[in-house]
Amino acid sequence: MSDSELKVGVISCSGEEIPEGTISRLATRRVLELLRPGSTVTICLPLFLAGDGAERDFATKHPTITVDGCDKLCAKKGTEEHSGPVSAALVVSEILNGDCSGCARSARDRTEKDKEAVWLVSEEIAKAVDAILAESGGCVSEAGDDGAACACSKPIPGMELQVDGRSVTIAGLALIFDHLAESGLAADESSGDKLLDTVRIYHPIDPKEEHDYRAALISAYKTHRRI
Amino acid sequence: MPCSGIGKVHGLIAREAAYAVTDELAPAGFETLCLALLVSGDEEARARVREAECIAIDGCPKLCAAKNVEMAGGKVVKSIRVVDAFKDHRGAEPGTPTKLADDGWTIVREIAGGICGGCEGEVR
Repeated sequence: MSDSELKVGVISCSGEEIPEGTISRLATRRVLELLRPGSTVTICLPLFLAGDGAERDFATKHPTITVDGCDKLCAKKGTEEHSGPVSAALVVSEILNGDCSGCARSARDRTEKDKEAVWLVSEEIAKAVDAILAESGGCVSEAGDDGAACACSKPIPGMELQVDGRSVTIAGLALIFDHLAESGLAADESSGDKLLDTVRIYHPIDPKEEHDYRAALISAYKTHRRI
Repeated sequence: MPCSGIGKVHGLIAREAAYAVTDELAPAGFETLCLALLVSGDEEARARVREAECIAIDGCPKLCAAKNVEMAGGKVVKSIRVVDAFKDHRGAEPGTPTKLADDGWTIVREIAGGICGGCEGEVR
């Protein structure tokens, strides 16, 4: 497997009994769909643990990050038992410092706190992906790489921006805008720093281009909000 | 016991159908369990499925939930496949693996109702 083809496996626990399991699952999907769509793949943990050789090969083909809801570490232990050591093991309850009171198991009951927890955990997963890719010499940033996909992780389409006359596609920008709008970010000139800081998490921005990106993002955010 | 498949919307429908039963329709009569914990061989989890009658809700034909309950020594009294529920909803737009649309919630309610049709609670 060449570096350009390197994909990091992210295996979430199923965690049906606890809110942290739902957060683990949603954060994993967010990484696959939005944060690192071209360089991550996943598999259903129960299928992986109970599957045949084809499924078991998953972690031998991909450097793997496990994301467990609790300290029972089902994903980590299962993966290591069947396929060998994982590259990183994250635990939702640790990332959230045990503060998951008020979080929900079902999507029906999701609140802002659930969304923030998913954002926080997904960003930790993305950091772990980047660290693995950097160590492997792979490409860290593939935001906007809409061509890459697997059965589990068809990337979300990007949105095109005009940055200083240059066309730039940012994966999932519409979702980023939606989230910021839900968070109450005003669609005016004051939103520039927040837009820049948030988009930078998902899309590389050269410091020399910050001014142009800020202007382009404010304009696009206003258009998105139809202001 | 839902499969909680992560790759397609079917897994999320299975999961939400389980919650609809355990959290809304009949909390006193049903409970769920982490499938991964069961599959990983946790003794307490295995004991819980052996002591109960289990309903498996699987998203896809691989039937991970049903098979793993049986492998743990549990009795599957009903095995539900979400893909079968779609047969009555041709052209439905159920949502994504992370968010259900109205059609997805409709299927959730149907599956939950099929598990617990006589229960007193209501699914939102």
